Amino acid sequence: MNAVFVLGLAILVIGVLSVAFVRPKTYVARLINLEIPAWGLLLVMLAYDEALALLTFVAVTAISTFVIVRLMEWRDASC
Amino acid sequence: MIVALEVAFGLVALLGAVSTALVRDSYGKVISLGILVAGIVPFIVDRGYLDVAIAVSLIAPIATIFILMVVRREQA
Repeated sequence: MNAVFVLGLAILVIGVLSVAFVRPKTYVARLINLEIPAWGLLLVMLAYDEALALLTFVAVTAISTFVIVRLMEWRDASC
Repeated sequence: MIVALEVAFGLVALLGAVSTALVRDSYGKVISLGILVAGIVPFIVDRGYLDVAIAVSLIAPIATIFILMVVRREQA
């Protein structure tokens, strides 16, 4: 198997476990931990040679992070 | 890639992931995320996807800046 593929799967598993069992049980910690499986998934997708999929995934991950941060700020301000 | 470099960058990426998962401070988590990115970008460059490397290098700090906004708001 490819080394990139194996490394991506390992980081994906670490990230999923860290998001599921987050230690300071806050939204911010969960959001930061959510970045780990995104990078693992990026490495797994790197094993299949599709540049457009990689670009789309990176862009959509950044935009969704922006939206979630805005949502968290709005929620904290409202309560 | 050279095997030694591959092992070194893979180790950097794995240690970044583990430390991001285990560190409890939010700022520490963001800094560990930078280590994770630093370990992963050389693999993207090694495959020859320089456009993807450019996009990742530009977009990843922007996401970090947005996370820092909400972390500062929470700790203030």
